[in-house]
Amino acid sequence: MSVPISIRGVSRRFGAALALDAVDLEVAAAELVALVGPSGCGKTTLLRIVADLETPSTGEVRVGADGPAVARRQRLFGLVSQRPAVLPWKRAVDDVAFTQRVARRAGFPARDLLREFGLGGHEDKRPHQLSGGMVQRVNIASAIAHDPQVLLMDEPFSALDEMKREELGEWFGRTLLDRPKTVLFVTHHIDEAVMLADRVLVFSPAPGRVLDVVRVPAPRPREREFRRDPRFVETAAHIRQLLFGRAEALAPAAR
Amino acid sequence: MGRVARALLRVVVPVLSILGLWYAAILLSGLPAFVIPRPERVLQTLVTERRFITVHLLETLKAAALGFVLANAVGIGLAALFVAVPAGRQVVMPVAITLRNVPYVALVTVLVLAFGDTLGSKVAIVVLAGFFPVLVNTYRGLLAADRVVLDRMRILSASGAETFLYVRLPYALPFIVSAQEITGSGSIIVAIAAEWMISSSGLGYVINRAMQQYRGDQVYAVALLAAVLSFVIYTVVHVVGRRLDWQAPPEARA
Repeated sequence: MSVPISIRGVSRRFGAALALDAVDLEVAAAELVALVGPSGCGKTTLLRIVADLETPSTGEVRVGADGPAVARRQRLFGLVSQRPAVLPWKRAVDDVAFTQRVARRAGFPARDLLREFGLGGHEDKRPHQLSGGMVQRVNIASAIAHDPQVLLMDEPFSALDEMKREELGEWFGRTLLDRPKTVLFVTHHIDEAVMLADRVLVFSPAPGRVLDVVRVPAPRPREREFRRDPRFVETAAHIRQLLFGRAEALAPAAR
Repeated sequence: MGRVARALLRVVVPVLSILGLWYAAILLSGLPAFVIPRPERVLQTLVTERRFITVHLLETLKAAALGFVLANAVGIGLAALFVAVPAGRQVVMPVAITLRNVPYVALVTVLVLAFGDTLGSKVAIVVLAGFFPVLVNTYRGLLAADRVVLDRMRILSASGAETFLYVRLPYALPFIVSAQEITGSGSIIVAIAAEWMISSSGLGYVINRAMQQYRGDQVYAVALLAAVLSFVIYTVVHVVGRRLDWQAPPEARA
């Protein structure tokens, strides 16, 4: 189950500073759109507006047929933050079950979900007994435990080292196969965005304006080999060009 | 370090040093026995007058325990109120700080004039002296809840009660426990002080009476008892606190 998201003319001011400037975006049901842009461009703010954690100064967001506040009360959202939102005193299996209890929805059986997330044998451990990558898996399991229609992800893999980030990204792409969800995915990793997303929304520096929405011309999920695929290289180069200008765009892509 | 060696260091060495200093003080000061009695005389008093002392000990414990529980109820309750209604903090906090800074002697006088020499007066003094550390620590703890976890609760459309019970309160627990290290042992001391000033029962009263009768041994016996009590309470709080503290590494929780 998933629902479309419609963002129309959304701006956000913090005092005198304009953080987001008239952002338009239509996200289809079960589509994954990555939001990339320089730090402070407002991509996290946009995510939080969709989540009803903040309100837009102007403009409108629809999640399915309703506004974000209604969608939140219907528990349509799952939120994955960069810093895991797990409870430090809860065992993994209890943390997952906690989401279901609070959301009042059965969702996926907690132990099965954790096993499927590669955490078999670790279900009864607390966060401090797990590695960073494992904690982030628990965090994602807890975020989708109630089977939400929309997943909002704010740099979920940024705190991990390069290898773990690629591995978890690929794993996450496959995970979505079994349970399609509408996903907004904030990241500052261009390669990660191109690996995972159907489309990549490229932000300008603050105030965040949409420079372009780039479609990745390949079906999901994509495996590691896709990083050498001309379509990957070209799409990533195009995004770099949008972000940095032509001169710097070619160097990182040729790496 | 072995368990035996550690026990030796933490119990035997301090006890021996205190006894040594005690005897040295007697020998060097030349003060009479009713000012500094010998340790064995104090122990003897504890044993022979145990019934008299127990009666008053129970009076003190009653006031201290009731005051301790109420101080926590007031402190935690007010802290919860401050988090739920931030404006409440603006109203109550100046009053709380003022109350805390009024000399206890003045408060005690007013309370005794109002309620006489009753358990209620003693308990009120213990509460007034003890609620503030609980309030300040609990409030700080309730605000220590991780922002990302609070966002998670909001995303899940959790009720205020759920967020308070399942997130804010557990995050505050180590803070609340550390406040008990002050309020817990403080309750005994404050109860005794209150009795010393106003009451005709309790350990404080025993000290007062003993002074008038030149019974140094009794004063020391009560002081020893109170010190042991405070130490026991502190230790219990500390051990319980370590078990509750999810921040501590697991090996420290044993």
